[in-house]
Amino acid sequence: MLSIKDLRTTVGNRKVLDGLSLEVPAGEVHAIMGPNGSGKSTLAYTLAGRPGYEVTGGSVSYRGEDLLALEPEARAQRGLFLGFQYPVEIPGVNNVYLLKAALNAARKQRGLPEVDAFEFLTLVREKMKIMQMDESFLSRGVNEGFSGGEKKRNEILQMLVLEPSLALLDETDSGLDIDALKVVANGVNTLRSPDRAIVLVTHYQRLLDYIKPDRVHVLARGKIIRSGGPELAQELEARGYDWLLTDAA
Amino acid sequence: MSALPVSLPTPRDENWKYANLRGLARARFEPSAPPSSETQARVTAALPAPLDGFERIVLIDGFVLGTPVTTSPSSPTMVNTIETDRYFFELNRRLRTDTLRLDVARHQKRAIEVIVVSLGTSHPAVEIALAEGAELSLVERHLPLSTDAVITNLVISAVVGSHARLELSRITQASSKAQHVETIELHLGEGSTTKVVQLTTGAAASRTTAFVEHAGRESALEWHAAALGEGTQSHDAYVRIAHSAPGAKTLQQFRGIASGRSRVSFNGHMRVDATSPNAQSDQSLKCLLAGPEAEADVRPQLEIYTDAVKASHGATVGKLDPDMLFYLLSRGIPEESASSLLKWAFVSDVLSRLSNPALRAAVEHSLERVLPGAIAARSGT
Repeated sequence: MLSIKDLRTTVGNRKVLDGLSLEVPAGEVHAIMGPNGSGKSTLAYTLAGRPGYEVTGGSVSYRGEDLLALEPEARAQRGLFLGFQYPVEIPGVNNVYLLKAALNAARKQRGLPEVDAFEFLTLVREKMKIMQMDESFLSRGVNEGFSGGEKKRNEILQMLVLEPSLALLDETDSGLDIDALKVVANGVNTLRSPDRAIVLVTHYQRLLDYIKPDRVHVLARGKIIRSGGPELAQELEARGYDWLLTDAA
Repeated sequence: MSALPVSLPTPRDENWKYANLRGLARARFEPSAPPSSETQARVTAALPAPLDGFERIVLIDGFVLGTPVTTSPSSPTMVNTIETDRYFFELNRRLRTDTLRLDVARHQKRAIEVIVVSLGTSHPAVEIALAEGAELSLVERHLPLSTDAVITNLVISAVVGSHARLELSRITQASSKAQHVETIELHLGEGSTTKVVQLTTGAAASRTTAFVEHAGRESALEWHAAALGEGTQSHDAYVRIAHSAPGAKTLQQFRGIASGRSRVSFNGHMRVDATSPNAQSDQSLKCLLAGPEAEADVRPQLEIYTDAVKASHGATVGKLDPDMLFYLLSRGIPEESASSLLKWAFVSDVLSRLSNPALRAAVEHSLERVLPGAIAARSGT
C-alpha cells in the first residue's frame, strides 16, 4: 500500500525527515510514535503534499504510484486521507458541502457519477450516528466554533464518508476526553479492512488501547529508529523515549 | 443638452481616487432613443422568471415599459456649480428620460422587482417614497443583455417615512464592456428600518456613490455590499452615512474580491453629528486579493461629534488563507473549486442577507461564471 524509502524533507531551511523508510501493507494499522519535534507531523504533511514541505530526497510509492509526483488534491482523490492535528475552521463553507464535494471528487477520479442526493444524506447520517454527532452539524461552517473534540470527530466523520485506502491520522487523540476518545477510536475501527491501511501518529499509548496496531514505529531525529509489535508501545509508555534515543545515538 | 459646468471627477478629487472613469472621459452621455417595440419584445423574452409575489417593472435605457406605475418626465433644475460627488446625480437629473416613482401608502406593503437593462446610454431614475409604517421590498436587477460598451448612470432616491421598512436588494451584473455609475440617496425617517444588500459583478468599471441620512430618531440601517472584480475590472464605492438624529444605528459590511488584475475599493464614511447622541455605528470592510496584480483598497472613515456613541470599525485586505486552501485540497477538491469555494465563503456574509430565497438562488447560480466550481460543490444539499 505505502512504501517510503529514504525520505528527506526540509521545512523552511530545517532538515526534518532525514532518511525515513517505512512499509505499510494493506490491511494493517501502524502507529508512529515519537518525542516532540521528531518529525511525525512533517511525515503526515509530506505524504499529503502540503506546500512548504519540500522533499529533497527519497521516494514514496502509494498503491504502485509515485505519490510525490501528485498534487495534494490528486493524492486525496486516489484515496489518501489526512486527519489533521489542528483542523482549520472555514466559516461560510458548510460541512455538508465539503463532504459532498470531497466525495464527488473521489468518485470522479474512479469514473463514477456524482452521488445521488438522497443516498448521500443517508450515508452521512449513518456515519454521523457512529460518531455520535448531531444533525445540526451538517449546516454549520466547517469546524466553525467547534470544540477541539468536535473537530476531531469531524475529521473521522469525513474519513468514514470518504472511505480512503490509506488514512493518516495526525494526533487524532490529542485534546480528547476519554468518552470522545472511545467514539473516535470506534470510528477508526469501523474502517479497518483488508484492503485499507491506517497510520496513526500519536504521542501516547492511550489511543492504542482502543485501536490495536499491527506495528509500532518510533520516529526520532527524522527517521524510524525502532519498529516492533504492539508491545513496543507499552514499553514506550513504561520507559519513555530516552533509552531508544541513547541506543540510536 | 446644456454642457455641465464642471468636468468629470478625477483621481485628484478626494472621494474619486480609486474610481476608474477613463471609459467615460470622451462619453457624450446623450441618452439613447426609446426602445423600439422589437427591442422591447426581445428584451422581455430574455428576462429571467419573475419572482413570486413581486410586481415586475422593466426599464430599458431609462424608459419604463408598460408603465404600471406613475412615471413623470424630469424637470431639471439648472445649477451653476455641482459638488463633485454629485456630478453623476446632476447629470442624471438633466438627462433622465423617465422617472420611475414607487409610492407605498401608509401601512401598506408592496414587493416590486425592477429590471434595469442598458443597451446604449441611459440615465435611469427611480424615486421611492414610503409613507408612515409602509413596507417595500424592492429587488433591483441589472442584467447584461448587451455586449456593447453601454453606459448606465442610475439614480435611486428614497424617502423612508417614519416607522417604514425598506428592503433594497441590488444585483448589478453588467456586461464586461459596460460603464456603470450610480448614485443612491436615502433619507431615513424616525423609527424606520432600511436594509440594503448589494452585489456588483461584471462591468469594465463601476462606481457607486451613496448618501444616506439618518434624519429621524432611532432609524436603523443595514448596508451589506459585495463586489467581485476579475480581469481588468474596477469596482469602486463611496458610501457616506450621516447620523443626524438621536439613536440612529448603522451596520455596514463590505466584502470585495479582486481577482486577475482588477481593482476593488470601498470608501465608507460614517459621520455622527452632535445632534445624534446614542448613535451606533458598526463597520466591517474586508477585501481579498486573489490575483498577483490585483489591487484592493478599503477606507473606513469615522467622524464623530458626540461623546455618547458606540462605534466600531475594521478594515482588512488579505489573501486566500493557505491553511484553508490546503485543507480543501487535502479533501480532494480541485484547486479552482477550492479557491472558488473560499471566495464564496468570503462573500457569503453578504449574500446570506438576501432574504428572498428565489433571488438568492438565482444570484448563486449566476455567480458560477465568476466562481467556477463553487456552486457545483455547494449543490445537492
